[in-house]
Amino acid sequence: MEKKKKTRFFIIFAFIFAILIVGIILTGNLLPEAPHEEISVAMKDAVLHETFKINLFGLQVNPAVISAFVVSGILIIAAIVIRIFVIPKFTIIPGKFQMLLEQGVELFSNMAKENSPHCHSFIGGYIFVAGAYICIGTLFELLGLQASTTVGTSIALPAPLADINGAITMGCLTFLVIMGGGIARNGLKGLGKALKEFSLPISMSFRLFGALLSGALVTDLVYHYTLTSYVIPVFVGVIFTLLHALIQAYVLTTLASTYFGEVTEFSEKKVKVPKEKKKKIKAERA
Amino acid sequence: MTGVPLNIDFQQILLHLLNFAILFFVLYLILYKPVRKFIDQRNAKYKELDDQAKANLEASEKAKVEYLYKMENAEKEAAAAKVKAMDEANEYAKERVNAAHAEAERIIANAQNMAEAERDKIIAEAGQQIEDLAKEAAKKAIFENTSEAMDSFLDAVEEK
Repeated sequence: MEKKKKTRFFIIFAFIFAILIVGIILTGNLLPEAPHEEISVAMKDAVLHETFKINLFGLQVNPAVISAFVVSGILIIAAIVIRIFVIPKFTIIPGKFQMLLEQGVELFSNMAKENSPHCHSFIGGYIFVAGAYICIGTLFELLGLQASTTVGTSIALPAPLADINGAITMGCLTFLVIMGGGIARNGLKGLGKALKEFSLPISMSFRLFGALLSGALVTDLVYHYTLTSYVIPVFVGVIFTLLHALIQAYVLTTLASTYFGEVTEFSEKKVKVPKEKKKKIKAERA
Repeated sequence: MTGVPLNIDFQQILLHLLNFAILFFVLYLILYKPVRKFIDQRNAKYKELDDQAKANLEASEKAKVEYLYKMENAEKEAAAAKVKAMDEANEYAKERVNAAHAEAERIIANAQNMAEAERDKIIAEAGQQIEDLAKEAAKKAIFENTSEAMDSFLDAVEEK
Protein backbone atom coordinates (compact mmCIF):
# COMPACT_ATOMS: atom_id res chain seq x y z
CA MET A 1 0.00 0.00 0.00
CA GLU A 2 1.25 3.49 -0.83
CA LYS A 3 2.08 5.91 1.93
CA LYS A 4 -0.81 8.28 1.06
CA LYS A 5 -3.33 5.46 1.05
CA LYS A 6 -2.02 4.20 4.37
CA THR A 7 -2.35 7.62 5.96
CA ARG A 8 -5.88 8.01 4.58
CA PHE A 9 -6.84 4.58 5.93
CA PHE A 10 -5.57 5.40 9.41
CA ILE A 11 -7.31 8.78 9.46
CA ILE A 12 -10.66 7.19 8.48
CA PHE A 13 -10.21 4.44 11.04
CA ALA A 14 -9.36 6.95 13.82
CA PHE A 15 -12.39 9.06 12.84
CA ILE A 16 -14.79 6.10 13.03
CA PHE A 17 -13.23 5.04 16.33
CA ALA A 18 -13.63 8.54 17.78
CA ILE A 19 -17.27 8.75 16.62
CA LEU A 20 -18.03 5.42 18.24
CA ILE A 21 -16.45 6.49 21.53
CA VAL A 22 -18.39 9.77 21.53
CA GLY A 23 -21.58 7.89 20.65
CA ILE A 24 -21.08 5.44 23.49
CA ILE A 25 -20.51 8.25 25.98
CA LEU A 26 -23.44 10.35 24.77
CA THR A 27 -25.93 7.51 24.56
CA GLY A 28 -25.07 6.21 28.00
CA ASN A 29 -27.92 8.07 29.71
CA LEU A 30 -30.53 7.75 26.96
CA LEU A 31 -31.93 4.42 28.09
CA PRO A 32 -33.22 3.76 31.58
CA GLU A 33 -30.38 2.41 33.60
CA ALA A 34 -30.37 -1.38 33.89
CA PRO A 35 -30.23 -2.80 37.38
CA HIS A 36 -26.54 -2.70 38.18
CA GLU A 37 -25.06 -5.97 39.31
CA GLU A 38 -22.40 -5.67 41.94
CA ILE A 39 -19.07 -7.24 40.99
CA SER A 40 -19.04 -9.24 44.19
CA VAL A 41 -22.45 -10.70 43.35
CA ALA A 42 -21.44 -11.51 39.77
CA MET A 43 -18.26 -13.21 40.90
CA LYS A 44 -20.00 -15.13 43.65
CA ASP A 45 -22.51 -16.41 41.12
CA ALA A 46 -19.70 -17.36 38.74
CA VAL A 47 -18.22 -19.47 41.54
CA LEU A 48 -21.32 -20.95 43.12
CA HIS A 49 -23.91 -20.92 40.30
CA GLU A 50 -26.68 -20.36 42.83
CA THR A 51 -28.74 -17.78 41.00
CA PHE A 52 -29.14 -19.07 37.45
CA LYS A 53 -30.32 -22.60 36.86
CA ILE A 54 -31.37 -24.36 33.68
CA ASN A 55 -34.24 -26.77 33.34
CA LEU A 56 -33.13 -30.22 32.18
CA PHE A 57 -36.09 -32.59 31.82
CA GLY A 58 -37.62 -31.19 35.00
CA LEU A 59 -34.35 -31.03 36.93
CA GLN A 60 -32.90 -27.64 37.82
CA VAL A 61 -29.22 -27.90 37.00
CA ASN A 62 -26.25 -25.58 36.77
CA PRO A 63 -25.37 -24.31 33.28
CA ALA A 64 -22.15 -26.35 33.43
CA VAL A 65 -24.15 -29.59 33.31
CA ILE A 66 -25.68 -28.48 30.01
CA SER A 67 -22.18 -27.50 28.83
CA ALA A 68 -20.94 -30.97 29.77
CA PHE A 69 -23.68 -32.65 27.74
CA VAL A 70 -23.13 -30.34 24.77
CA VAL A 71 -19.35 -30.92 24.83
CA SER A 72 -19.86 -34.69 25.09
CA GLY A 73 -22.38 -34.56 22.26
CA ILE A 74 -19.93 -32.65 20.06
CA LEU A 75 -17.12 -35.08 20.88
CA ILE A 76 -19.27 -38.18 20.33
CA ILE A 77 -20.61 -36.93 16.99
CA ALA A 78 -17.08 -36.02 15.89
CA ALA A 79 -15.84 -39.47 16.97
CA ILE A 80 -18.62 -41.25 15.07
CA VAL A 81 -17.95 -39.21 11.93
CA ILE A 82 -14.22 -39.91 12.19
CA ARG A 83 -14.86 -43.63 12.81
CA ILE A 84 -17.14 -43.94 9.78
CA PHE A 85 -15.50 -41.66 7.27
CA VAL A 86 -11.87 -41.22 8.27
CA ILE A 87 -10.49 -44.30 10.05
CA PRO A 88 -11.39 -46.79 7.27
CA LYS A 89 -9.38 -44.62 4.85
CA PHE A 90 -6.25 -44.60 6.99
CA THR A 91 -3.09 -45.11 4.94
CA ILE A 92 0.39 -46.31 5.85
CA ILE A 93 1.77 -42.88 4.97
CA PRO A 94 -0.59 -40.61 6.93
CA GLY A 95 -2.22 -37.46 5.65
CA LYS A 96 -2.55 -34.28 7.71
CA PHE A 97 -5.73 -35.19 9.58
CA GLN A 98 -4.65 -38.79 10.13
CA MET A 99 -1.35 -37.49 11.48
CA LEU A 100 -3.24 -35.18 13.88
CA LEU A 101 -5.39 -38.07 15.15
CA GLU A 102 -2.43 -40.42 15.51
CA GLN A 103 -0.42 -37.75 17.33
CA GLY A 104 -3.31 -37.14 19.72
CA VAL A 105 -3.71 -40.83 20.51
CA GLU A 106 0.03 -41.48 20.72
CA LEU A 107 0.62 -38.47 22.98
CA PHE A 108 -1.58 -39.97 25.71
CA SER A 109 -0.68 -43.55 24.93
CA ASN A 110 3.04 -42.80 25.26
CA MET A 111 2.41 -40.77 28.41
CA ALA A 112 0.65 -43.79 29.91
CA LYS A 113 3.49 -46.09 28.80
CA GLU A 114 6.13 -43.82 30.33
CA ASN A 115 4.38 -43.18 33.63
CA SER A 116 2.76 -46.58 34.05
CA PRO A 117 4.93 -49.11 32.21
CA HIS A 118 3.40 -52.14 33.97
CA CYS A 119 -0.20 -51.53 32.98
CA HIS A 120 -0.93 -48.82 30.44
CA SER A 121 -3.61 -50.07 28.08
CA PHE A 122 -6.65 -48.84 30.05
CA ILE A 123 -5.13 -45.72 31.57
CA GLY A 124 -3.95 -44.64 28.08
CA GLY A 125 -7.56 -44.64 26.90
CA TYR A 126 -8.79 -42.96 30.07
CA ILE A 127 -6.35 -40.06 29.93
CA PHE A 128 -7.01 -39.67 26.20
CA VAL A 129 -10.73 -39.18 26.84
CA ALA A 130 -10.17 -37.08 29.97
CA GLY A 131 -7.61 -34.87 28.18
CA ALA A 132 -9.93 -34.37 25.20
CA TYR A 133 -12.87 -33.60 27.51
CA ILE A 134 -10.96 -31.06 29.61
CA CYS A 135 -9.33 -29.39 26.60
CA ILE A 136 -12.42 -29.17 24.38
CA GLY A 137 -14.65 -28.44 27.39
CA THR A 138 -12.53 -25.48 28.39
CA LEU A 139 -12.31 -24.16 24.83
CA PHE A 140 -16.08 -24.56 24.59
CA GLU A 141 -16.66 -21.45 26.73
CA LEU A 142 -15.06 -19.37 23.97
CA LEU A 143 -18.11 -20.10 21.80
CA GLY A 144 -20.32 -18.24 24.26
CA LEU A 145 -23.40 -20.36 23.47
CA GLN A 146 -26.49 -18.98 25.18
CA ALA A 147 -29.00 -20.94 27.20
CA SER A 148 -32.28 -19.90 28.76
CA THR A 149 -32.40 -19.91 32.57
CA THR A 150 -35.37 -20.81 34.74
CA VAL A 151 -35.91 -17.12 35.49
CA GLY A 152 -36.18 -16.33 31.81
CA THR A 153 -32.84 -14.64 31.27
CA SER A 154 -30.16 -15.96 28.96
CA ILE A 155 -26.77 -17.11 30.14
CA ALA A 156 -23.52 -17.95 28.32
CA LEU A 157 -22.67 -21.60 28.86
CA PRO A 158 -19.46 -21.89 30.89
CA ALA A 159 -16.79 -24.59 30.74
CA PRO A 160 -18.12 -27.86 32.26
CA LEU A 161 -15.28 -27.92 34.78
CA ALA A 162 -15.81 -24.31 35.87
CA ASP A 163 -18.57 -25.82 38.04
CA ILE A 164 -17.41 -27.38 41.29
CA ASN A 165 -19.63 -30.42 40.65
CA GLY A 166 -17.97 -31.11 37.28
CA ALA A 167 -14.50 -30.69 38.78
CA ILE A 168 -15.33 -32.97 41.73
CA THR A 169 -16.60 -35.59 39.27
CA MET A 170 -13.35 -35.54 37.29
CA GLY A 171 -11.15 -35.58 40.41
CA CYS A 172 -13.05 -38.37 42.16
CA LEU A 173 -13.49 -40.47 39.03
CA THR A 174 -9.78 -40.24 38.31
CA PHE A 175 -9.04 -41.32 41.87
CA LEU A 176 -11.48 -44.23 41.51
CA VAL A 177 -9.77 -45.28 38.28
CA ILE A 178 -6.38 -45.17 40.04
CA MET A 179 -7.73 -47.13 42.98
CA GLY A 180 -9.43 -49.65 40.67
CA GLY A 181 -6.16 -50.17 38.79
CA GLY A 182 -4.33 -50.74 42.09
CA ILE A 183 -6.87 -53.30 43.28
CA ALA A 184 -6.95 -55.10 39.91
CA ARG A 185 -3.19 -55.33 39.77
CA ASN A 186 -2.03 -55.65 43.37
CA GLY A 187 -5.17 -56.50 45.35
CA LEU A 188 -5.28 -55.10 48.86
CA LYS A 189 -1.76 -53.76 48.58
CA GLY A 190 -2.83 -51.70 45.58
CA LEU A 191 -5.84 -50.43 47.53
CA GLY A 192 -3.53 -49.45 50.38
CA LYS A 193 -1.21 -47.65 48.03
CA ALA A 194 -4.12 -45.75 46.49
CA LEU A 195 -5.62 -44.84 49.87
CA LYS A 196 -2.28 -43.45 50.98
CA GLU A 197 -2.98 -40.66 48.49
CA PHE A 198 -6.32 -39.88 50.13
CA SER A 199 -5.95 -36.17 49.39
CA LEU A 200 -5.66 -36.82 45.66
CA PRO A 201 -9.37 -36.51 44.73
CA ILE A 202 -9.69 -33.25 46.66
CA SER A 203 -6.50 -31.76 45.24
CA MET A 204 -7.38 -32.83 41.70
CA SER A 205 -10.92 -31.52 41.92
CA PHE A 206 -10.01 -28.15 43.38
CA ARG A 207 -7.00 -27.73 41.10
CA LEU A 208 -9.25 -28.12 38.07
CA PHE A 209 -12.01 -25.99 39.52
CA GLY A 210 -9.69 -23.22 40.72
CA ALA A 211 -7.65 -23.08 37.53
CA LEU A 212 -10.63 -22.93 35.21
CA LEU A 213 -12.55 -20.56 37.44
CA SER A 214 -9.65 -18.15 37.82
CA GLY A 215 -9.68 -17.44 34.09
CA ALA A 216 -13.43 -16.91 34.10
CA LEU A 217 -13.24 -14.62 37.13
CA VAL A 218 -10.46 -12.47 35.67
CA THR A 219 -12.39 -12.18 32.41
CA ASP A 220 -15.58 -11.26 34.34
CA LEU A 221 -13.66 -8.69 36.32
CA VAL A 222 -12.20 -7.11 33.20
CA TYR A 223 -15.61 -7.06 31.51
CA HIS A 224 -17.29 -5.49 34.50
CA TYR A 225 -15.65 -2.06 34.22
CA THR A 226 -16.32 0.09 31.16
CA LEU A 227 -12.75 1.27 30.88
CA THR A 228 -11.30 -2.23 30.65
CA SER A 229 -14.14 -3.78 28.69
CA TYR A 230 -12.72 -2.81 25.25
CA VAL A 231 -10.20 -5.01 23.45
CA ILE A 232 -8.56 -6.24 26.68
CA PRO A 233 -11.14 -8.97 27.44
CA VAL A 234 -10.53 -10.47 24.00
CA PHE A 235 -6.89 -11.14 24.84
CA VAL A 236 -7.42 -11.90 28.52
CA GLY A 237 -10.35 -14.27 27.96
CA VAL A 238 -8.86 -16.09 24.98
CA ILE A 239 -5.39 -16.43 26.43
CA PHE A 240 -6.61 -17.62 29.84
CA THR A 241 -8.96 -20.11 28.21
CA LEU A 242 -6.35 -21.47 25.83
CA LEU A 243 -3.70 -21.78 28.52
CA HIS A 244 -6.05 -23.46 30.98
CA ALA A 245 -7.35 -25.85 28.33
CA LEU A 246 -3.85 -27.10 27.57
CA ILE A 247 -2.31 -26.87 31.04
CA GLN A 248 -5.17 -28.51 32.94
CA ALA A 249 -5.52 -31.32 30.39
CA TYR A 250 -1.77 -31.95 30.66
CA VAL A 251 -1.68 -31.74 34.47
CA LEU A 252 -4.62 -34.07 35.11
CA THR A 253 -3.50 -36.67 32.58
CA THR A 254 0.08 -36.64 33.85
CA LEU A 255 -1.01 -36.95 37.49
CA ALA A 256 -3.51 -39.71 36.67
CA SER A 257 -0.98 -41.78 34.72
CA THR A 258 1.78 -41.24 37.31
CA TYR A 259 -0.36 -42.29 40.28
CA PHE A 260 -1.81 -45.17 38.26
CA GLY A 261 1.76 -46.30 37.53
CA GLU A 262 2.64 -46.13 41.23
CA VAL A 263 -0.29 -48.19 42.45
CA THR A 264 -0.07 -50.78 39.67
CA GLU A 265 3.66 -51.31 40.14
CA PHE A 266 4.18 -54.98 40.97
CA SER A 267 5.61 -55.29 44.48
CA GLU A 268 7.90 -58.26 44.99
CA LYS A 269 7.08 -60.49 47.93
CA LYS A 270 9.75 -60.74 50.61
CA VAL A 271 11.18 -64.22 50.68
CA LYS A 272 11.00 -65.59 54.21
CA VAL A 273 14.25 -67.15 55.34
CA PRO A 274 13.76 -70.07 57.74
CA LYS A 275 15.07 -69.54 61.28
CA GLU A 276 17.51 -72.45 61.04
CA LYS A 277 19.02 -71.00 57.88
CA LYS A 278 19.30 -67.62 59.58
CA LYS A 279 21.16 -69.22 62.48
CA LYS A 280 23.47 -71.00 60.04
CA ILE A 281 24.26 -67.77 58.23
CA LYS A 282 24.95 -66.03 61.54
CA ALA A 283 27.21 -68.85 62.62
CA GLU A 284 29.10 -68.77 59.34
CA ARG A 285 29.59 -65.03 59.66
CA ALA A 286 30.77 -65.37 63.21
CA MET B 1 -29.09 -22.71 48.83
CA THR B 2 -28.44 -26.25 49.88
CA GLY B 3 -26.78 -27.19 53.12
CA VAL B 4 -23.62 -28.35 51.40
CA PRO B 5 -21.02 -25.59 50.99
CA LEU B 6 -19.87 -24.33 47.58
CA ASN B 7 -23.18 -25.41 46.08
CA ILE B 8 -22.00 -29.00 45.80
CA ASP B 9 -24.91 -31.04 44.50
CA PHE B 10 -24.68 -34.84 44.42
CA GLN B 11 -27.38 -35.14 41.79
CA GLN B 12 -25.34 -32.92 39.46
CA ILE B 13 -22.18 -34.83 40.28
CA LEU B 14 -23.96 -38.01 39.19
CA LEU B 15 -25.14 -36.26 36.02
CA HIS B 16 -21.57 -35.25 35.24
CA LEU B 17 -20.44 -38.80 36.03
CA LEU B 18 -23.04 -40.31 33.69
CA ASN B 19 -22.06 -37.85 30.99
CA PHE B 20 -18.36 -38.68 31.30
CA ALA B 21 -19.00 -42.42 31.48
CA ILE B 22 -20.92 -42.31 28.18
CA LEU B 23 -18.22 -40.12 26.64
CA PHE B 24 -15.45 -42.44 27.82
CA PHE B 25 -17.24 -45.56 26.59
CA VAL B 26 -17.89 -44.11 23.12
CA LEU B 27 -14.56 -42.38 22.60
CA TYR B 28 -12.52 -45.31 23.91
CA LEU B 29 -14.30 -47.84 21.71
CA ILE B 30 -14.79 -45.95 18.47
CA LEU B 31 -11.84 -43.58 18.41
CA TYR B 32 -8.97 -44.51 20.72
CA LYS B 33 -8.94 -48.28 20.14
CA PRO B 34 -9.20 -48.30 16.32
CA VAL B 35 -6.51 -45.63 15.96
CA ARG B 36 -4.27 -47.43 18.48
CA LYS B 37 -4.87 -50.71 16.64
CA PHE B 38 -3.94 -49.16 13.32
CA ILE B 39 -0.76 -47.64 14.79
CA ASP B 40 0.18 -50.98 16.39
CA GLN B 41 -0.39 -52.86 13.14
CA ARG B 42 1.72 -50.38 11.23
CA ASN B 43 4.48 -50.54 13.85
CA ALA B 44 4.38 -54.35 13.68
CA LYS B 45 4.64 -54.20 9.90
CA TYR B 46 7.59 -51.79 10.07
CA LYS B 47 9.23 -54.00 12.68
CA GLU B 48 8.77 -57.03 10.46
CA LEU B 49 10.28 -55.15 7.51
CA ASP B 50 13.13 -53.98 9.71
CA ASP B 51 13.79 -57.51 10.96
CA GLN B 52 13.67 -58.81 7.41
CA ALA B 53 16.09 -56.14 6.25
CA LYS B 54 18.42 -56.95 9.15
CA ALA B 55 18.25 -60.68 8.32
CA ASN B 56 18.95 -59.94 4.66
CA LEU B 57 21.86 -57.72 5.60
CA GLU B 58 23.24 -60.40 7.89
CA ALA B 59 22.87 -63.04 5.16
CA SER B 60 24.57 -60.82 2.60
CA GLU B 61 27.42 -60.10 5.04
CA LYS B 62 27.80 -63.84 5.59
CA ALA B 63 27.73 -64.50 1.84
CA LYS B 64 30.33 -61.77 1.34
CA VAL B 65 32.65 -63.35 3.91
CA GLU B 66 32.13 -66.76 2.31
CA TYR B 67 32.79 -65.30 -1.14
CA LEU B 68 35.97 -63.60 0.03
CA TYR B 69 37.11 -66.84 1.67
CA LYS B 70 36.33 -68.79 -1.49
CA MET B 71 38.10 -66.19 -3.64
CA GLU B 72 41.17 -66.40 -1.46
CA ASN B 73 41.10 -70.21 -1.63
CA ALA B 74 40.51 -70.15 -5.37
CA GLU B 75 43.51 -67.87 -5.86
CA LYS B 76 45.64 -70.19 -3.78
CA GLU B 77 44.32 -73.24 -5.65
CA ALA B 78 44.87 -71.55 -9.00
CA ALA B 79 48.45 -70.68 -8.04
CA ALA B 80 49.07 -74.26 -6.89
CA ALA B 81 47.50 -75.68 -10.07
CA LYS B 82 49.61 -73.33 -12.16
CA VAL B 83 52.79 -74.47 -10.42
CA LYS B 84 51.72 -78.11 -10.81
CA ALA B 85 50.91 -77.62 -14.50
CA MET B 86 54.22 -75.87 -15.05
CA ASP B 87 56.04 -78.76 -13.37
CA GLU B 88 54.11 -81.32 -15.40
CA ALA B 89 54.77 -79.38 -18.59
CA ASN B 90 58.48 -79.14 -17.80
CA GLU B 91 58.56 -82.83 -17.03
CA TYR B 92 56.74 -83.66 -20.22
CA ALA B 93 59.00 -81.40 -22.27
CA LYS B 94 62.03 -83.00 -20.69
CA GLU B 95 60.67 -86.45 -21.49
CA ARG B 96 59.89 -85.37 -25.04
CA VAL B 97 63.38 -83.91 -25.47
CA ASN B 98 64.96 -87.08 -24.10
CA ALA B 99 62.77 -89.19 -26.34
CA ALA B 100 63.67 -86.99 -29.30
CA HIS B 101 67.36 -87.30 -28.43
CA ALA B 102 67.02 -91.10 -28.19
CA GLU B 103 65.11 -91.20 -31.49
CA ALA B 104 67.71 -89.02 -33.14
CA GLU B 105 70.51 -91.18 -31.84
CA ARG B 106 68.66 -94.28 -33.04
CA ILE B 107 68.07 -92.70 -36.47
CA ILE B 108 71.70 -91.64 -36.71
CA ALA B 109 72.85 -95.10 -35.66
CA ASN B 110 70.55 -96.69 -38.23
CA ALA B 111 71.73 -94.29 -40.88
CA GLN B 112 75.32 -95.03 -40.02
CA ASN B 113 74.63 -98.75 -40.14
CA MET B 114 72.83 -98.43 -43.44
CA ALA B 115 75.59 -96.22 -44.86
CA GLU B 116 78.23 -98.69 -43.74
CA ALA B 117 76.25 -101.56 -45.24
CA GLU B 118 75.81 -99.59 -48.47
CA ARG B 119 79.50 -98.79 -48.55
CA ASP B 120 80.44 -102.39 -47.91
CA LYS B 121 78.02 -103.43 -50.61
CA ILE B 122 79.43 -100.88 -53.07
CA ILE B 123 82.95 -101.87 -52.21
CA ALA B 124 82.04 -105.51 -52.65
CA GLU B 125 80.37 -104.77 -55.98
CA ALA B 126 83.27 -102.64 -57.11
CA GLY B 127 85.69 -105.42 -56.15
CA GLN B 128 83.57 -107.89 -58.11
CA GLN B 129 83.49 -105.61 -61.11
CA ILE B 130 87.22 -105.02 -60.92
CA GLU B 131 87.68 -108.72 -60.65
CA ASP B 132 85.43 -109.25 -63.65
CA LEU B 133 87.22 -106.58 -65.65
CA ALA B 134 90.56 -108.00 -64.66
CA LYS B 135 89.46 -111.41 -65.81
CA GLU B 136 88.19 -109.98 -69.10
CA ALA B 137 91.36 -108.04 -69.59
CA ALA B 138 93.41 -111.08 -68.89
CA LYS B 139 91.42 -112.94 -71.46
CA LYS B 140 91.96 -110.25 -74.04
CA ALA B 141 95.61 -110.06 -73.27
CA ILE B 142 95.97 -113.65 -73.91
CA PHE B 143 94.25 -113.48 -77.25
CA GLU B 144 95.25 -109.95 -78.51
CA ASN B 145 98.37 -107.92 -78.08
CA THR B 146 99.21 -106.53 -74.89
CA SER B 147 98.83 -102.84 -75.85
CA GLU B 148 95.39 -103.21 -77.24
CA ALA B 149 94.54 -105.23 -74.30
CA MET B 150 95.89 -102.54 -72.04
CA ASP B 151 93.93 -99.86 -73.89
CA SER B 152 90.75 -101.77 -73.80
CA PHE B 153 91.38 -102.43 -70.15
CA LEU B 154 91.89 -98.73 -69.44
CA ASP B 155 88.85 -97.76 -71.52
CA ALA B 156 86.81 -100.22 -69.66
CA VAL B 157 88.01 -98.84 -66.35
CA GLU B 158 87.25 -95.27 -67.46
CA GLU B 159 83.81 -96.18 -68.58
CA LYS B 160 83.06 -97.70 -65.27
